[in-house]
Amino acid sequence: MNHNPKIIGASIPRLDGKDKVTGRALYTDDLKFPGMLYGALHRSRLPHARIKKVDTSAAKKIKGVKDVVTGADTPQIKYGNWRLVPGSQDELPLAVDKVRFIGDEIAAVCAVDRETAIKAAEAIEVEYEELPAIYSVEEATAEGAPLLHDESPGNVSLTREISYGDLEGLLAQADYVREDFFKVHAVSHAYLEPCSSIAVPEEGGRVTLYTSTQTPYIVQCLLASTLDIPENHVRVVKTQVGGGFGGKMEMRPWEFAAAFMALRTGRPVKFTLTRSDELAFGRRRHPMSIRSKVGFTKDGKLLAKDFEVMLDGGAYNAMGPTATFLCGTFGNMLYNFQAYRYRGRHVYTNKPPASAMRGFGAPQAAFAQESQMNMAAEELGIDPIDLRLINAMETGDVIPDVATISSCGFKESLEKVRQVSGWDAKRKEKKPGVGLGIGCFSFISGGVFNWFNTKYNFAAAEVTVYPDGTAQLNTMACDIGQGPDTVLRQILAAELGIGIEKIRLVSMDTALTPKADLGTWGSRVTLMNGNAIIDAAKKIKDMLKPVLFDHLDLNQIHEIAFEDDRVLVKANPKKSMSFGECVYHALRGRRGEPLTARGYYTPRDKGLVSPAFSFGAQVAEVAVDQDTGLVTVTNTYTAHDCGVAINKMAVEGQLEGAIQMGLGYTLSEAFVMEQGRTLNTSFLDYKMPAAEDMPPSTYVEVETYEPEGPFGAKEAGEGLAIPTAPAIADAVYQATGFRALELPITPEKVLKGIGRLK
Amino acid sequence: MAKEIIELIVNGDRYEVAVEPWRTLAEVLREDLNLTGTKIGCNQGDCGACTVLMEGRSVSSCLTLAAEAHQREIVTIEGLAQGPEDLHPLQEAFVEHGAVQCGYCTPGMILSAKHLLDHNPTPSEQEIRQGLSGNLCRCTGYSKIVEAIGAAAAKMAPAGEGE
Amino acid sequence: MPNMPRFNFHRPGTMEEALDLVSRFRASVKVMCGGTDLVPKMRAGVAVAENVVSLTRVPGLSTISYRDDDGLVIGGTARISDVARHPDVRRHYPALAYACDKMATVQIRNMGTVAGNLANAAPSADTAAPLLAYGASLVLVERGGRRQVPLEDFFTGPGLTVAEPMEIIEAIRVPAPPLRSGSAYLRVSARSKVDIAAVGVAAALNLDLEGRVIGVRIALAAVGPTPLRARQAEDMLMEQIPDHDLLARAGAACVRTAKPIDDVRASANFRRAMVQTLAQRVLARCGRLARGEDAQ
Repeated sequence: MNHNPKIIGASIPRLDGKDKVTGRALYTDDLKFPGMLYGALHRSRLPHARIKKVDTSAAKKIKGVKDVVTGADTPQIKYGNWRLVPGSQDELPLAVDKVRFIGDEIAAVCAVDRETAIKAAEAIEVEYEELPAIYSVEEATAEGAPLLHDESPGNVSLTREISYGDLEGLLAQADYVREDFFKVHAVSHAYLEPCSSIAVPEEGGRVTLYTSTQTPYIVQCLLASTLDIPENHVRVVKTQVGGGFGGKMEMRPWEFAAAFMALRTGRPVKFTLTRSDELAFGRRRHPMSIRSKVGFTKDGKLLAKDFEVMLDGGAYNAMGPTATFLCGTFGNMLYNFQAYRYRGRHVYTNKPPASAMRGFGAPQAAFAQESQMNMAAEELGIDPIDLRLINAMETGDVIPDVATISSCGFKESLEKVRQVSGWDAKRKEKKPGVGLGIGCFSFISGGVFNWFNTKYNFAAAEVTVYPDGTAQLNTMACDIGQGPDTVLRQILAAELGIGIEKIRLVSMDTALTPKADLGTWGSRVTLMNGNAIIDAAKKIKDMLKPVLFDHLDLNQIHEIAFEDDRVLVKANPKKSMSFGECVYHALRGRRGEPLTARGYYTPRDKGLVSPAFSFGAQVAEVAVDQDTGLVTVTNTYTAHDCGVAINKMAVEGQLEGAIQMGLGYTLSEAFVMEQGRTLNTSFLDYKMPAAEDMPPSTYVEVETYEPEGPFGAKEAGEGLAIPTAPAIADAVYQATGFRALELPITPEKVLKGIGRLK
Repeated sequence: MAKEIIELIVNGDRYEVAVEPWRTLAEVLREDLNLTGTKIGCNQGDCGACTVLMEGRSVSSCLTLAAEAHQREIVTIEGLAQGPEDLHPLQEAFVEHGAVQCGYCTPGMILSAKHLLDHNPTPSEQEIRQGLSGNLCRCTGYSKIVEAIGAAAAKMAPAGEGE
Repeated sequence: MPNMPRFNFHRPGTMEEALDLVSRFRASVKVMCGGTDLVPKMRAGVAVAENVVSLTRVPGLSTISYRDDDGLVIGGTARISDVARHPDVRRHYPALAYACDKMATVQIRNMGTVAGNLANAAPSADTAAPLLAYGASLVLVERGGRRQVPLEDFFTGPGLTVAEPMEIIEAIRVPAPPLRSGSAYLRVSARSKVDIAAVGVAAALNLDLEGRVIGVRIALAAVGPTPLRARQAEDMLMEQIPDHDLLARAGAACVRTAKPIDDVRASANFRRAMVQTLAQRVLARCGRLARGEDAQ
């Protein structure tokens, strides 16, 4: 753990901060190109219908309209992120035969200005044959339910099963068995920047897309396949992105429409969504119906678990298959037990597709699992933290068929959160209307399972060093606000021993940065890109070291170090030269070839799920007004094992932001839907917490060293979004006696739960 | 329903712009004056990303008709710093305290904070949170934003008045 | 989202000019001040008018003044934030100050006016309930003259009022509070701190020296097509000592007055329960203020 504490673990302010506080940072909608046209979409007005006719004649007649396209004009190639299973690719950029949710994209227009484009999109007439629609997994899987996709009988697009150990036998011999049913709802990513994309046509039928995305490489590949042009004809450039949280990790119809019409018109085309588009039609977190059955010994040893989940996927697969897989994995995390059975089904309904959202199946699975642990603890007469300690995973534990846990600070997290929250004393003193509850989490640091079927390494970095002592880092890694533009430069600076300000970053341009990077999701960026950068930097250092041996005539046993912009002999630091000078000498012998190295990372021999796992525990304190049912979270305490935090301030930022999202998920955020139509399409009625709603948060680090992570780091972005719901639900139970098995915990549910409202 | 020539005084600069009556100040700032630091997050007056100061008051520029801003003094995020390298104490504090993540809410947050400190130079934490009632953030959980505003207030307060 | 509809925009510099404009365009005109209600409504296609008349440049219309004998006068273009911070409003009209402090957002309070909040006639209008409880009236002016309309006669339905298109709200007049009186306003919604009210209850209560109720007005927000007076509950309280039991019964009477609906913000059932809870809390607080037990 030989690293520079001035860089690794330091709270270095983000390097793009200054641009962002002065308004200079450019997001996609801030860009304009000469001759640029403005796009608009015509979306389905029905939840389920066959398209009989799309009449674009009136739209085409409007002055200023430059192009109008429907599905019929396009190559009609289906797409989806799960390229590994082509049958799962169920979406068309513009619908051809059928629409499956209110908002399904049918046609696109572009015009000289936004107003004309909107007018033209509204002038498109669609003749439908309305089909019966279904809005819940229960309806969708019922006998004789109408089918959304002919290829998916029973509306189940995918099933994942896991099974090991003697489930029935262990449940039969358990002293205590309970079975519970949980329901969780959809929420919006609610990133502040609505999606925006600009396609610029290039010579030779090529196109450059500036877009608000967290996965430029995925967009490049899927845009090329849906346009039916070579992958290398598409260049994706990510601008500043105003948040993603999983909502910007697929190719989107407007990206296709912008590129398709840019190629047809020879002019740049921009699409920018509105907030009401985002809330009415946008991706969201999967609602789930969960059944969980667990068996314990009387002294609290968890023996077996039977876990069944139905995911409400909406109209298309989107990232649903991954969520279906991961739910099974997360149902199996945190605790050791001998038998496990999981059955996850991804179900189609006539609603906007659900997809990846911060936690990727884990917030839902954990709400069930952690609530059930709290319920079991009460009936077993064991303190909930003690019950967890009895069963908690430790470093070296094996999750069958998944992974070996190479670092785990779960037990320490439990002990620390117990101490810092004053758990023991507060749980003993019972005050009506006040309560304290707990929820725990574990999360992946990037995925191993190659559903995108990339032929490239999962992460790549190109490092070039210059005789003036500076370096350039080229990476496709994606900063969407969480901070890798800073954190990855910290890693390179630490490895090369140069100042962070010496590093120029070129990122997120698929034409300029090495192949590939799968993007920002699954909390993969720090670990995977960090490792790729270290790999590249080590190669650079290997090219520089001989210079010192030559110039100082060193014995071959010496070790060379890179520190404080110098290259030096470890045993005798006075023997050194500046980093730039060293590069200068190294270049002299290379006959004009720059000093560049590429590094890569793909997890090897790390199981099927993830190379490393974070752990943690959170305690929430609430006050419940028993007359209004309003729940106020008065405090949160979190202990978190994210390995070595590369940037402490950035980790704290993830924690505090995750609590806001967790709070909204638990208490106030929900889509109000009627017959497939979303009724609350503004932030006035989609209620995410504001500054005044936020509780104080106390944060304790549990530092472990993750051997697979760069400088010992692992994920810090998503795991923290998981524990808040079960912790608050438990606290509400302690305060009122009402145990919420469904989210969100609205004032109305609380009042009903305590018998104050019929 | 013709265009009207209006005069805007933005960050001390005088602009003449021909606008249709239904266009908003946010649109005109971004599209006609190329001052894209003002963000549009909802266009419904709920998120605060488009906040600017008009005659010293924070307003939602997505709800303000540009024609209504005729001859008004407007300050946008681009006008807060004195020079390119010279950040306003609020801007500096936002960077130093990690109050910026994706940055999309940041310009509006800073201008709401400016409005708050102009009226209340030594706000309590609760008053800061109330002062941000019209600004939503999805990344930070607001903690570091509140912290940064407190720090900027302390720095800006005349000697002896700060915390 | 559809395009904003087309309209002509007028920025009169005097009241006379403003009245001329609304009179001339009365067939299709909207009066605007901050635009916080009108702009989103037009954008959503809910409000359409060929002419929009902005009052922001009419001089003298934004004054807020108070006299012990005459009460409070809030000018037609006085901003909500200015009303909220006015010392006389804070001292004498705590329910109104509370509403003006809590409603919407800082930016909207900086732009919007109390008159606009009333003219908009949303059932959930935050300033309406306290002003009804205070017995406020509106001064409506048109080219030919002016009339005073009690606020309780002003609202006729969601978004509808008795004001004619050519009339402008010149001022809101609120009587001075009598001795031994107290007033309060409370609201609830799912997002606890910053939100539109799902239910609001305001009341103003006046006691005699023995602590009997000699005057009371209760107003309910967001539980009917307009803000409502809860007369049955008021009658029940008159001449009585407002003890806990009576307040509970008065709360129940308020529930009987309420005509809530299910919508995206709350169910009717929940709203009824909240009317009971808030009415009891508001009336209890009014009683304590009137008896001098609570500081404002």
